[in-house]
This record gives sequence, C-alpha cells and structure tokens, in this order.
Amino acid sequence: MGNFLLSRIASLIPILFGTSLVAFFLVRLIPGDPAIALLGLEADEQAIAALRAKLALDQPLVLQYVAWLKQILTGDFGRSIQGGREVFPLLIGALGPTALLSVAALLISLVIAIPAGIVAATRRNSLADYGASFAALCGLSMPSFWLGVLLILTFSIYVPILPASGYVSPLVDPLRFLSFLVLPALTLGAALAAATMRMTRATMLEVLRADYVRTARAKGIPARKVIWRHAFRNAQIPIVTLLGIQMGQLLGGVVITETVFSWPGIGKLTVDAIFARDYPVVQGAVLLTATLFVLINLLTDIIYTLIDPRVSLA
Amino acid sequence: MSAVVTPGVTFARGLVRDRRAALGFTLVLIAVLAAIAAPLIAPFDPDTPDFGAALAPPSVMHLLGTDDLGRDVLSRVIFGARISLFVGFFSVAGALVLGTGLGLVAGYFGGLADSIIMRVMDVVFAFPSILLALAIAAVLGPSLVNAVLAIAIVNLPVFARIARAQTLVVRQLDFVEAKRALGFGTANILFRTVMPNTLAPIIVQGSLLFAAAIITESYLSFLGLGAQPPTPTWGNMLRNAIGFLDFAPWLAWFPGAAIFLTVLGFNLLGDALRDTFDPREG
Repeated sequence: MGNFLLSRIASLIPILFGTSLVAFFLVRLIPGDPAIALLGLEADEQAIAALRAKLALDQPLVLQYVAWLKQILTGDFGRSIQGGREVFPLLIGALGPTALLSVAALLISLVIAIPAGIVAATRRNSLADYGASFAALCGLSMPSFWLGVLLILTFSIYVPILPASGYVSPLVDPLRFLSFLVLPALTLGAALAAATMRMTRATMLEVLRADYVRTARAKGIPARKVIWRHAFRNAQIPIVTLLGIQMGQLLGGVVITETVFSWPGIGKLTVDAIFARDYPVVQGAVLLTATLFVLINLLTDIIYTLIDPRVSLA
Repeated sequence: MSAVVTPGVTFARGLVRDRRAALGFTLVLIAVLAAIAAPLIAPFDPDTPDFGAALAPPSVMHLLGTDDLGRDVLSRVIFGARISLFVGFFSVAGALVLGTGLGLVAGYFGGLADSIIMRVMDVVFAFPSILLALAIAAVLGPSLVNAVLAIAIVNLPVFARIARAQTLVVRQLDFVEAKRALGFGTANILFRTVMPNTLAPIIVQGSLLFAAAIITESYLSFLGLGAQPPTPTWGNMLRNAIGFLDFAPWLAWFPGAAIFLTVLGFNLLGDALRDTFDPREG
C-alpha cells in the first residue's frame, strides 16, 4: 500500500508541473506586455516597472517561470486588477459556496439516481426501465444552462415560489440560503443523476446475474433483501468511482450553473475575471481548479483500491 | 474484410429495428438538413431587424416569435444549426485526426516519444474541459474559429489515449510482424495496417464527443466566447434571452430545445453505435 501511494503521488509531479506551465503561459500568450495585462491598462509606470522586475520579464523564459513559481508556492497569486484585492484569499473565499453547491448537487443526484437505477435494473425492459433510461439520456443531452433557465421560468416566474438568483451565507440566514440553493443544485444535480443512474443500472444488471445472487434467491431470502444486501453492496464500487469522477467534473459544471444563478463561487469568479480581463484572478483560478481536480482524482483512485480488495496495488 | 463490413450492416439493420437509433438518426438528420438548406427554408433573413415587430410572441407570421430587435426566432434557430454542427464537426474531426495520430505514434514507437506525448495529454486531461475551453477561448479572443480550436484541444487526449491503447495491442499481431518482416516502411505499416485496426472505438467515441462538443460550443456562446453577434448561435440566443425571461420566455424555449434535441439525437446514435461495436453493454 505504501509503495502504491508513493508511486501514485509521484505520478502527480509531472502533471502538476504541466498545469503550472499552462497557467504560466496563459498570461504570457496574451498579446502585449504581461505586466500591463496583470496590472490593467490604468496602472502607473512605476507599478509596471516594479512588476516587470518581480516577474523577471527582462530575463529568459525559464527564469521567469522559476520566479513565478516561487511566488505561487508562497501563496502569492498577485492582486486582482479590479479593486486590488489579493487573489489567494479571493479564491479561498469562493471555494465555500462552490463546495456547498457541489455537495447539494451530489446528494440530489444520488437520491434520484440510485433508486431509479435499481428499479430499472431489477425490472429490466419494463415500462419503468424504459422511462428511467430515456429520462437519463435526456438528462445527459440537456445543456445545464437551459435546464437552469427552464427552472427559473417555472419556479421564479410562472409559479414564483423560489428566488431566480442570489446568495446568502448559511451562517447568516439558513432558510434563505436553502431557498437560493434549490434551483442551482437541481440544475447541477440533474446531469450527475443521469450518469449515475446509467451506471447504477448497468452494474446492477451485471451483479444480478452473478451466481451468489442466484444462490441467495434459491435459499429463499426475500427479494428486497437480496437486492440491497447482496446485489447493491457489490454494485457500489463502480458507482463510488463514478462519484469521484463526478466530483472532478463538478468543478467544470459549476462554471455555467454559478453564472446562470449568480452563485458567488469559483466558477462565477473565473467567468467574471475572464470578461474583466482580470488575468491574475484567471491564472489563480485555473491553477487552483486544476490542482483540486488532480487531487480529487488521486483520492478517487486511493478510495477505489481501499474498497475493492480485487484491485491489485502492484 | 468481413470485420469491416459487418458492423456497418449491423448498424443499418439496427437503425431500422431499434426505435432509439431511428429517433436519433431522425433528429440528427433534421439538424443537418436545417444547416445545409438554411437560406432556402428560413422564412426571414436571420439578421435583419424589424423594430416594429420586436418581442412578438409566437404567431402565424413568426412561428417561434421575434427577439428584442424584431428578428425572426425560427430563422435564427435554423441558421444556428450551422454554427453548432460546424463547430461540432470541425472540433471533433480535428481532435480525432491529430489525437489519433499522436496516439499511434506514442503506441507504436514507445520510449521517449510515448512519454512526452502522453505526459502532455495527461496535463490537458488534468483540467475540467469546460474550464480549459473557456481559458483558451479567453486568451485567443472570442470567435468561431477559436471556439473550434479550444474544443478540439480539450478533446485531444481522449482520442490519443484510445488510439495508443489500440495500437499497443495491434502492433504485436502477426500480420503487422509479417509486414515488418517483408520490409514495408514504417509509415506504410502505421497508416495502412495499424491505423485501420484502431478506428472502431475511436469512431464510437467521436460520435459521443460530437454531442459533447455541441454542448460545449453552446456554453462558450452562452458566455459570449463563441461566434460573435449578429451571427445567430443557439448559445448566444439563450444568452440574449436571459434579459427578457419575464415577458418574452419564448426566446429561451426554442434555442434551448434545438440544442437539447440535436444533442439527444447524437447521444441516441452514439449509444446505438456503441451497442453495435460492443454488444456486451446496454
């Protein structure tokens, strides 16, 4: 296990190195002077000269990268062009709302997808199966911003019972927070539910064919118990893996959902920064998101090997 | 050659028998026809404003209503199919050709070439695809071509990984050894013998990524990073609709429905293709 962990963590080094290169070149590829891009057009000469020295812009690209990496590793992501706030705390502050929205979306998707997938598999080729499978395919084909807009139309305009957009910290007003949370969480959860339902159905179908399930049935164990105790327990492993992958995908999915619902998370921060040409924030957000994405995938791998004794650690 | 013909025949038969596949094929066909024949079937010019008829609800004159500049929504939805399919096709085709090539080289030669190519692909894969497409489109500037580029880059590693895995299997087979022993050149072996035998899973993946590419294009357009106005795209029509949800909701209904139905069509077709090539699933 120790060796496996070490080699898996070691394999992250070239990837993290690569993502840092991408974030670094993101700003260097913008036409014009990177110092002006990072400070904004209104910056004064002195500030530009100071930043040029700090970024080592008069030196070879390799040294520029080293200088930049040193800053990043000490948590110095520079300052936002809009308002001059430090980028790092800005990013950390946006992580909270994103995490809350992601967890809510995952929960919603599980509550819908697991029962639907099990019913579809245990009653294969029934009307319920066709219905659930088609609904899942529709969920996969639905662009999330359109679902978001349809939900706003339905629950904020036609039957105005929920706010169309906004955010309140759950620490300030938990009830209002929940009312803001419902629509974006449903929007984000729907696509996840579609994928999870398909996976649950496929693995359940496989497990239900297994000998030990037939044995359990033959022993006269009630169908309900066979499905949950014997079959579903073994179907969980691929589902857990998919959940890990989805946690990563959520980091992309929140970009659109947060923009539609004005949810002040990392996705909206990134989009707003792109349009304001706030490159320090774009750079920081891209680096942070990619790093989180890589770490979540690593965690998924580790959990996968922990829960499935069949996976070899060699 | 029977291995090449059979899936095609099976697929054609499946299309007739499988109602899912038939529905998918019909939806895709409608979108393709709309894109090709747009100037012939659109009732109005998609870009000409008619301020007297602005924000008119669906009627006999304007079947899907008009937008804030009085432009006919139906005509814009029809012309929007061009952008979606254009971006979908060229981004997936570009990623397929380049990604497959990289995967072939990595898998066939191994060693340093393999390490370098696949580590770069790992890095591209280390970003959530929407975020990377957004960042690329933002750096290159918003335009149709840059949207194609961004989506193609994001999809590169998918094709490279599949092609590499297939190549690793195929390069060891006897008929490849035989050609090598007969003294055929590397390029000949690679493109004439190895590549055709890697294509089936790549094409299946391509059909599914086509659906994903259309959605990604609509996201970029929706955020204002795709083709620029007045060019109608389903994504930028929805972006525009957000400001009028209260009193002109039809502006949001139809472009969204167009994306949904087209993507559903490609997903249904992709599922059917996968079932044909890989009968274990489904």
